[in-house]
Amino acid sequence: MDDLDRELGPHGPVEDYNDFSDDNVSKGGTNLKRPNVNPAMCKETPRETGFHRSTRICLEQIREAVLHHKWQEAAEYMACYPQLLEDTCLPPAQQNKELLWRISTNILHHHPNSTMEDYNNIYERMKHSGVRHHLMICLEHSFHLLLHGQNEDAKWQLSSAESWRHGKESAAQHQRAELISAYRSLLDYVIWCDKRFSNSDNYFDSDNQGMHDHFRQASLNLKEILKKPGVWDPFILSYVDMLELYDDHEEALKVLNDYAYNNNFPPNPNAHVYLYQYLKRHDASEKNLMRVLKILHVLVPSHELMLDYSTLLLNSENKTDIQKALGIILDMLDFTCWRTNMDVWKCLKTVIQRLEIQEDWENVVCEKMALREDWWPALHFTSFHASKDLEENPELWKVKASLAKVLCPKQALKYTADRVTNGKRT
Amino acid sequence: MDDEYTAGYREPCSECSAVDWGITDECHFYCRSCHNVIERTRDVEDTGFVQNGSSKISSIRKGSKKKPERGHIWMVCEGFQFILRNQANALLRLGVSPQFKDDVLCPLWRLFLQKSRLAYTSNPVKSSRFKVQDSDSDSAAESSNMSASATDGESNPPSAADSTAEDASDWSGSTDVSSYLSTRLKRKRSPLSMMKTLALIHLALVWSREALTLSDLLRLVNEGHVPYVNAYEQLPEEMKVIGKDALLFRVESIPSHRIVHKEAQALVLFLELPAFPPITCETLLHPELLSLRYLTDTNLPDELHLWVCRLMEQAGMADQTLHTFDPHSCPVLPRYDIQTAALIIVTMKFLFGLDDHTEWKLSNEVGNQSDSGDMFNLRRWYKLMQDVLMRAQQKRRQDIARKQWKAKKPIFPKNIGLKRTMMKKKRIAEQVQLCFEKLSSRPAGVQEVSPSSFRFCWGDEDGSDGPSLHHMKLDGVVTLKHNLLTPSNSTYWHPGLKKCDRRQCPSSHYSDMEPTLPRSFVWLLQLFSFLLDVKPPYLYEEVLKVERHVIGTETHCDVSSRKKKTRTRAKTKSSPRTLDRTLKTGGESGKTASKSS
Repeated sequence: MDDLDRELGPHGPVEDYNDFSDDNVSKGGTNLKRPNVNPAMCKETPRETGFHRSTRICLEQIREAVLHHKWQEAAEYMACYPQLLEDTCLPPAQQNKELLWRISTNILHHHPNSTMEDYNNIYERMKHSGVRHHLMICLEHSFHLLLHGQNEDAKWQLSSAESWRHGKESAAQHQRAELISAYRSLLDYVIWCDKRFSNSDNYFDSDNQGMHDHFRQASLNLKEILKKPGVWDPFILSYVDMLELYDDHEEALKVLNDYAYNNNFPPNPNAHVYLYQYLKRHDASEKNLMRVLKILHVLVPSHELMLDYSTLLLNSENKTDIQKALGIILDMLDFTCWRTNMDVWKCLKTVIQRLEIQEDWENVVCEKMALREDWWPALHFTSFHASKDLEENPELWKVKASLAKVLCPKQALKYTADRVTNGKRT
Repeated sequence: MDDEYTAGYREPCSECSAVDWGITDECHFYCRSCHNVIERTRDVEDTGFVQNGSSKISSIRKGSKKKPERGHIWMVCEGFQFILRNQANALLRLGVSPQFKDDVLCPLWRLFLQKSRLAYTSNPVKSSRFKVQDSDSDSAAESSNMSASATDGESNPPSAADSTAEDASDWSGSTDVSSYLSTRLKRKRSPLSMMKTLALIHLALVWSREALTLSDLLRLVNEGHVPYVNAYEQLPEEMKVIGKDALLFRVESIPSHRIVHKEAQALVLFLELPAFPPITCETLLHPELLSLRYLTDTNLPDELHLWVCRLMEQAGMADQTLHTFDPHSCPVLPRYDIQTAALIIVTMKFLFGLDDHTEWKLSNEVGNQSDSGDMFNLRRWYKLMQDVLMRAQQKRRQDIARKQWKAKKPIFPKNIGLKRTMMKKKRIAEQVQLCFEKLSSRPAGVQEVSPSSFRFCWGDEDGSDGPSLHHMKLDGVVTLKHNLLTPSNSTYWHPGLKKCDRRQCPSSHYSDMEPTLPRSFVWLLQLFSFLLDVKPPYLYEEVLKVERHVIGTETHCDVSSRKKKTRTRAKTKSSPRTLDRTLKTGGESGKTASKSS
């Protein structure tokens, strides 16, 4: 882009007459090449022009001001900084633009007097200052508009960004373009949502044509996007939400199944969660639900849905299912986040009770606890836990105490009601 | 003799219809038959003449409709003449006497043009450079040449030297900028540059014995009182500055003291100037009077001036021959400002020691005395100055950060695409700037300050930097000995003063020496370096020079290994006897040899 220098020749401005370090006294005058510019932030080079020195020191001052949260001062220096864009030296142009973009927006975020207009101004300018950052700036701009509730504007920004083309740059930024396209659809969804809630009575009125248009635009695009491997959580949810309203269950299921089971996609526990939730909403059979949760259990044993899973397993009459339920609950309790959760412990108690009906239940328990007997007592059944549980949740203590013996029969656990003594009697 | 210039012009005279042209003294064409003078000047004709010596100018020109776009045809030296004139006028507005411009600068400029064969000469430097060439092969050769140069960094004389003036001016507003650049690419400096204007002005100022030193001039340039950066914007509308002109007229740095002085030195020799008007003790540039100014500026007591003068006398430095340029006796252009500062530093070294012990001891003694109100206390002065200096340094840094370098009217390249890109960038920069100016309610750029010879302001008024210490007495540091005032301090330290061989030690040893030097001395160097806006090593070398004058050059530096360029400081202490002799009034003049212990 900066062909100016190419036209002027390999020599930059004639004036190389800086006072380099005095160590270069004799060498100073002979080198008439273009000054070795390296504005790799705040690093002084020996052959800096006065202009580069000014911009470098300006950047240092801005950085100081920003780090110390002196926003007025930062804004003052920022007013002096844009001359950097007019620099005619070839290499650093893109870096300058990015610097300017990011620092300006940062200052605007914090300065008390910044207005939406300022933001729009800066974003528009920086967008058109170069090609490499154009798409990212568009995206950031639309996010900003979204955060300020200007959904329509945000969508418009993304739509215009979608149709941006710039030779080989657009090929290099292919991924970003896809991202923009996806977000544009998401914004369509957001607007659709707004419209839906504002006209909550009759969705299929002809007045809601705009809403349907948004749906159409969004769904067309999302369908394409969701075929590509990636993590598309919010997009999936919005798509499914829209499809549900229009009763396109087939499509919704297809999309969700694809998302969860397609091996090309990165493993994503959320996919299974979404599928489960959808099936649950639509009264799927327990077998189907369990099938989904089984995979989730493998991926995330500590997931809260494991509780649901155990409950489902308990509902079945199958012996092995009960045993499986035991395994699942124990897996959950391996994680400290469930340590004081009443529901989980209650569920465990239920499982044990159901299990006790079976013969040979002790072996089953033993088997499941075999891996754990070394560290479970320390995790759940110390005297410290006892005192804490008694204090905070006596119910929990009761349940745990009853289970302690069952789970760890061979060990002498200290999970009792005796007060812990710290050397002084309380 | 005129025929060679008028040969190309075959228009009949409007008065007598004869074709017999000559050149007047003012380089206008006149008809030899009826003496009718016409507008055509020889400069313009030169262009036509050197193209191909024939009268077929119109066939080479691409049609007269090009002319109004391009404005007048102008030469680079004309552009620089305008700029020089504007700079001189700015100085006149600041109070320099008009003789500087009319009687000194103008003749100097003409002499320069003549000596460098750019004008006022029968043998202009560019006449040998132009040949008729096909414009296509020209541009192709030029672009391939540029790409070659870009890759290997080597500069071959480009075919620009071979292009016609017409084609050359397609790349620039002026007609002959390529010839300046081709000279440059041959590893010689361009005969004219913005920096040369400063060097010329400095020479003219010294010749006129104006009180503006080089550091003052550079400060005025930096503050914008003398046009330099973007000076081409003040050229008349008709002189369009485009394309390659940028390489000569656009500057992105203000040159340093050292560089401009070097350039001025080279100019003086190049122009073969005679001896300058003498700089006597009454001249403001002479250290005797210049030191008064610096002493006032740094809030040092006036009594110190007496000691500065004494030192100069004893070192034989008061003589005017040392301070006046003369091609035979003093072929080096003196650096008045640096030398004066160095003198003050050496004086302070004599009086206060500046070895991190003596000066504070003396301060303590002054402080302990009961009636110390009127006595100069170095510690108090240091504390005051340090505060002020730090604030001033910070302010300078802020000004550097805020300085705006880019012109309102940039020099656009000829290529339309590039021009548009440049304009677009400028627009974007301006918009972002406006946005933040509005947000911060503070315009970009440095606030204009009114020009002043002084950096600091001492006194009791509002806005002063601190209380004035000028009236303080030096009673604490000088005593009466044998009815003569002598410094109480009787020792003096200095590093090895033997001059280094410039080939083996081309640069200053300051960076090596600095960690071993006393902090007071280093700080004082920094103070004066800030005052003059030079780098400390530069000033340090001058201090060494002054010490050589005062003490002599017999002390060797302990050079452990020349190759490693290390140098340990030989802390030699001159014997008290020589010191007394040096500083008492009367006694021998000239250099005193030190008897190093």
